[in-house]
Amino acid sequence: MTGTSAVAEDALPVADGRETAREVWRLSRGHRLRLAVVGVLGIVSTTVDLIPPVAIGFLIDRAQAGTAGLGTVLTVTAVMTFSAVLGTAGTAVTIVLATRAYHAVLAALREELVARALTLPQHAVERAGAGDLISRSSDDVTAVADAAPAVIPVVTVTAFTITVSLGGLAALDRPYAAALAVVLPVYVFAMRWYLRTGPPVYRAERAAMSARAQQIVESQRGHATVLGFGLGEQRHRTVMTASWAVAVQTLRARTVQSMLNARLNLGECLSLAAVLVVGFVLIDHGTSTVGGATTAMLLVLRLLSPVNQLMFVIDTLQSALASLNRMIGVTTMPVADTADEPPTPRGTAHAVRLRGVAFGYGTGPRVLEDITLDIPTGQRIAVVGASGAGKTTLASVIAGIHPPDTGTVARPGSTAVITQEIHVFAGTLRDNLTLAAPDATDDQLRAALDTTGAAELLDLLPDGLDTMVGVGGHPLTDAQAQQLALARLLLTDPDLAILDEATAEAGSTQSGLLDRAADAALAGRTGLVIAHRLTQAAACDRIVVMEHGRITENGTHADLIAAGGVYARLWSAWEAGQGAGVV
Amino acid sequence: MLWQAPAEPPDVWPFEVRAGDSSGRFVARVIFSLPRVTIPAMLLAVVWQVGESAVPVVMGVAIDRALATGDAGQLVMWIGVLVALYVALTAAARLTNRLNAYAIQLLQHRLRATLSTRVLHPGGGLARAPDGEVVSVMTNDVARLANAGLLVVLPIARIAAIGFIAASLLVTHWPLGVAVLLGTPAAVWLMGVLSERLSRDTREYQGLLAGTVGRAADLVAGYRVIKGVRAEAEATRRYRQASRETLVGAQRNVGLLGRFLVGSGIVNGVFVAAVTGLAGWFTVNGQLSIGGLITAVGLTQALMPQMQSIASASIPNLASARASAARILDALRNTGTETVTPAPGDGTPPEVTPVPVLDVSVSGALIRVRPGELVGVRADDRTATRIADALLNPRAGNDIEVRLDERPAHQLTSAEYRSLVTVAPHRVTLFSGTVRDNLALPARAPEPLEAAVRAAAGEDFAADPDVPVGEGGNRLSGGQRQRVALARALAADAPLLVLHDPTTAVDSVTEQKIAERLRGVRASRSTLLIASSPALLGCCDHIVDLLAVLERPVAS
Repeated sequence: MTGTSAVAEDALPVADGRETAREVWRLSRGHRLRLAVVGVLGIVSTTVDLIPPVAIGFLIDRAQAGTAGLGTVLTVTAVMTFSAVLGTAGTAVTIVLATRAYHAVLAALREELVARALTLPQHAVERAGAGDLISRSSDDVTAVADAAPAVIPVVTVTAFTITVSLGGLAALDRPYAAALAVVLPVYVFAMRWYLRTGPPVYRAERAAMSARAQQIVESQRGHATVLGFGLGEQRHRTVMTASWAVAVQTLRARTVQSMLNARLNLGECLSLAAVLVVGFVLIDHGTSTVGGATTAMLLVLRLLSPVNQLMFVIDTLQSALASLNRMIGVTTMPVADTADEPPTPRGTAHAVRLRGVAFGYGTGPRVLEDITLDIPTGQRIAVVGASGAGKTTLASVIAGIHPPDTGTVARPGSTAVITQEIHVFAGTLRDNLTLAAPDATDDQLRAALDTTGAAELLDLLPDGLDTMVGVGGHPLTDAQAQQLALARLLLTDPDLAILDEATAEAGSTQSGLLDRAADAALAGRTGLVIAHRLTQAAACDRIVVMEHGRITENGTHADLIAAGGVYARLWSAWEAGQGAGVV
Repeated sequence: MLWQAPAEPPDVWPFEVRAGDSSGRFVARVIFSLPRVTIPAMLLAVVWQVGESAVPVVMGVAIDRALATGDAGQLVMWIGVLVALYVALTAAARLTNRLNAYAIQLLQHRLRATLSTRVLHPGGGLARAPDGEVVSVMTNDVARLANAGLLVVLPIARIAAIGFIAASLLVTHWPLGVAVLLGTPAAVWLMGVLSERLSRDTREYQGLLAGTVGRAADLVAGYRVIKGVRAEAEATRRYRQASRETLVGAQRNVGLLGRFLVGSGIVNGVFVAAVTGLAGWFTVNGQLSIGGLITAVGLTQALMPQMQSIASASIPNLASARASAARILDALRNTGTETVTPAPGDGTPPEVTPVPVLDVSVSGALIRVRPGELVGVRADDRTATRIADALLNPRAGNDIEVRLDERPAHQLTSAEYRSLVTVAPHRVTLFSGTVRDNLALPARAPEPLEAAVRAAAGEDFAADPDVPVGEGGNRLSGGQRQRVALARALAADAPLLVLHDPTTAVDSVTEQKIAERLRGVRASRSTLLIASSPALLGCCDHIVDLLAVLERPVAS
């Protein structure tokens, strides 16, 4: 990897509102009947919810007229109880159905997201940084899922309550509804102000939060470095500064919320005052009753409470939407185009053929220039060169991870790559191995571990193949993790195996062990080895030396030593070091 | 604006944790730790909540006194009262929210400081390194526990509001007031019972979700490995399976949410209907005026949100705060505290020279580094790691003994030890920021910086030191990362530097270059080099070969 040139323009895309709406609509296929039921049931149950205020108004009017008896009271109580039970149940079912559809759509989306994340062109991921992709498939999924209990009940209830309460109010007494319409602009302004002021403040708050998490993670992961360099005090101050930065942003965000609250209270106060004024005039004209005014007051209070709640979940809603846009930005990305050349058939003379290959990352400078290379089937080639010579890029182009800018690449149908990047997946040891070969039996897994010299690993682990490894599991050393990776490679049984410094992380004794494991894993197939230790290179059939993106030497160990070029100089430096240490 | 947060972090002192602390007691200690903020907040919250409850009452009285009578003067007066009420409750709400937010942030900050000093960056020796869980404890659990700070503010204000409502009803018509006073606790208790089951299941579901999310992060983090062996389909299948299990959990949780909504809605609705019916009956009987009936209806309306908030917010809030407090206590207890073994004899401990002689005894062999020496150690991986660990943390209870000028290292305070010995671990960790930020972290002066970069063959990254290294240094190649780390170690300019396999990811040409320059940059200071590379060992003054357990000088 010569990846120092990652810039912001390489960031993963974020979907816009229209794209998100389209995708959500597509994913909701199969839940649309449920959503239709939500609509009907929502309207019915909110209408039923209007009954208690009307019943109370009726009771007051009857009582005032002196026509109420025990029967009236009992009837009103019964009607109120019955409608409360019915309305509540209906609303609950509405919320449950809507939330279920939400979760089902989210599950489908997160599955598409992970599937897409794993099939994206690797260079796209590398340029953007895997961190962003990880955060989209974890943090954003959590944000959208966590929004459900706060947002869905309020949004569904509010939508229906506004429609039905305004309708009910208009049906009961048009002037009351008109009074509310006068106050409406206050709410519209409040919301517009909030949507303008809120999001940047919340974004800053979330950015501060992720910076804080980042600092904590770095201190935890770099514990040994912190200890070894005595950086504890310094890191503590960094973490605490990041912690307080969140406090500052959060207090700003709460201020914005308080200001929203004040605006909502203004609206509420005006609405109630309007009800009093209109009621006064209407009763004076004899077109409304005290009971009617009470009903109107209760309806207004009932209408305003979800509207206020809606305002308060708007920021959760917005952050969920932002996360959704980030997720859909990934799911709508184009997949890697691996269809460049038909694979070289088994048994051909040359398993790998490169003709005039050139490659550069994005618009950056060319990392590979004019590479022509044949790897005979069954042979093992070593690639040698200084850092930044283009070794890893060459391996990636041969593996099909990066399509070449110009030239052609032919490779066998099955290719496997192991890099020095070590990752043990959270799960059992078996899970880690069967990832590459889902149908492998335990005996095959044991045999693969045995071949790579990791048989004793099985004895060391408390539960054998069932031992949990990876994050939170039994810790493996880097060498053990690479043995695991080599065993995985054996299980996939590829025609071409590429080892990119796959044994570089090991220390002294392990390097011999890993070299032997790599040797076993490569036996009987075409191999490309990017080597740091020249002993590894010397053991290969041919050696390719790279400098500044070009192949400068290509031959057997003996050929290249005899030629007296770069490789010969490297070899003598290596031998000199070898001689100095050991007798 | 009042109480604007200061830009600089305030000085906070860590929370005390006593041996027998239960999670409940710890929650109590946390939430009562800021009385100077929470008591004013609580008083203001009472004004706010009672004000909210008074709105329907004022409306009821206005309808009765102004609308029913047609008295315009009364109308103006009651609208005035309504406006005044809103001004008061809005101001109180604003101040309460401000104080609450400040209190929560201060509590969070203090809890985080406690965890940072005791778990994440312990000054002295510690039983074991903090695991990944500390991250979630320091973010999620700290936030949940600090939220409990609201418990001394809002529930008390809500109870006060309920008291106000009951008192108003008692004044309006005492049997109504008694009925409400008796009925409210029962209704709150019922809703609490209903919400308990839901919050338990919600925690379970959140665990499932966290598992699925963690799996996604794990798979995506290992995407290179997956692509390397073309296991995309299998990985996707496994994730889908986990995601489906979580979906089942989510749907079950939604079902329970539905049951809670139905249950609490029915309790609510029946309570309102019953109180209204009772008030209606008293009105029909002539015991209660029409105005009284309207007021009673308004008060009952105000009662509902208060009851619901206590049942569905405060009670679950307390439960989740307790669970988080338990996890925080666990994290705090899992680390040892610094204990310095006193030097034998009660005299002042012998002074350690600026560049002391370092002795490391490992399974019978002695590694001695005299001032100014560069000593190489060749060992098998396990022994090499044990030696590095012992030097990193001499108090960890390793069987390898570390001595400085004959004095056991565990007798030194950790500050003393760190000022003498710097250990660069084999596993490279770069911190976010630029190359320069990383190099400057432990550096003591600017001049060694350039020399250090040169010695680490860092000409490539020295050319552009303001390039961000990316998270964990992922924008650099493996070799670059290792050389930045080596330059950082050399820049620390420590009297005694321990390097552990510092060039495994570096190609052989560059490694040779580093070997040639290492001695020059460490002149007059001591260096212990645990390495397997012949090129590196070749530049040492002498080598302790633990593979052969022999020490012999190298002819130079």
